[in-house]
Amino acid sequence: MEEDLIRYIAENLVNDPEGVTLNRRDAGRNVILELRVAQGDMGRVIGKSGRVANAMRSLLRAMTEDDHRGRRVILEIE
Amino acid sequence: MESIEKTGDTVEAAIAAGLAELGVTAAEVMVEVLEEPSRGLFGLGAKPARVRLIMMASRRPPEPPAPPPAAKITSPEPPVTEKPVRQDREKPARPPRQRSTPRPARSAQTEAEDDDEDMHAMAAPTGDEISDEQADDHARVAKEVLLELLKRMEIDARVGILRAESTRDGEEMHWILNITGKNTARLIGRRGETLSALQYIVRLIVSRRLQGRANIIVDAGGYKASRSERLKQLANRMADQALSQGRTVTLEPMPPHERRIVHLALRARTDVMTKSIGEGDARKVTISPVKSS
Repeated sequence: MEEDLIRYIAENLVNDPEGVTLNRRDAGRNVILELRVAQGDMGRVIGKSGRVANAMRSLLRAMTEDDHRGRRVILEIE
Repeated sequence: MESIEKTGDTVEAAIAAGLAELGVTAAEVMVEVLEEPSRGLFGLGAKPARVRLIMMASRRPPEPPAPPPAAKITSPEPPVTEKPVRQDREKPARPPRQRSTPRPARSAQTEAEDDDEDMHAMAAPTGDEISDEQADDHARVAKEVLLELLKRMEIDARVGILRAESTRDGEEMHWILNITGKNTARLIGRRGETLSALQYIVRLIVSRRLQGRANIIVDAGGYKASRSERLKQLANRMADQALSQGRTVTLEPMPPHERRIVHLALRARTDVMTKSIGEGDARKVTISPVKSS
């Protein structure tokens, strides 16, 4: 599942893996993943110019690309 | 955590506005580009750039002189030693305090990617797949991380380790992790975007676990290896064309590591010179004949 992927990546990049929470929310046919990490770890999951966040989004896109229902998974980091 | 969102005509303008509002320098925030500006058609439907600036929790006492490698990930301005290319291009040093606008975010990012891909441009393997025992810790951990990622992406694949051809003398050994299986086409993505994302994440996690740079190239079904070979041939063909027609030839837009392959492929030729022009996704290589004097 998409959230397992994001959780794995986040937990392996932060200093405080216990501070990682991931919430999955349906929004119409799309899915929203809300990733929260400890304050000091924000930069680690976002990255320079959002590069880490964008890499995670690329992987999510690859996972849902050939989904017939046109479902999208949106990653929000807050 | 303090963060604000700003809009502007360009990404740079939006960042500058955000910095002004927060009253901080570019070094104190992380910038996430939420939306690139779009010009729209004849000015209709134009959308401004949107960025989010996040204050870094680094208002602590000065960092120790040698920051731990982990800091590399969050630092918006990595050590200059990693960026000899950009240093050359920069105008003579200005006192940083007087810098009212940040370095243009977009080109800075492109340069950073170039640097990052620099050593990994050549994805051509030497020899056959090797066993885990013949590889080093970086390669073994990278393979393990990659398999964990693939499992969570619900892709049933195996990963082989190969040695990469070195692009210059005395550089560290690079490893290629080649993914094979039935769904690997899905892992390539548009212009190799998915592979780049996987590679980036794998390198980040490996260098966090093991310290030091992870010289890892992630490939799928030999896509990069053959793409690299085709690009080298294309580069030489276009160079010949530039010479025979006596004009500059412009290639299609390419991602940073592919442009790098073209530059490197023609570096040894003295009859042509290469340059990258354009910004972001539209950045492309031009090949021009060199007039022999």
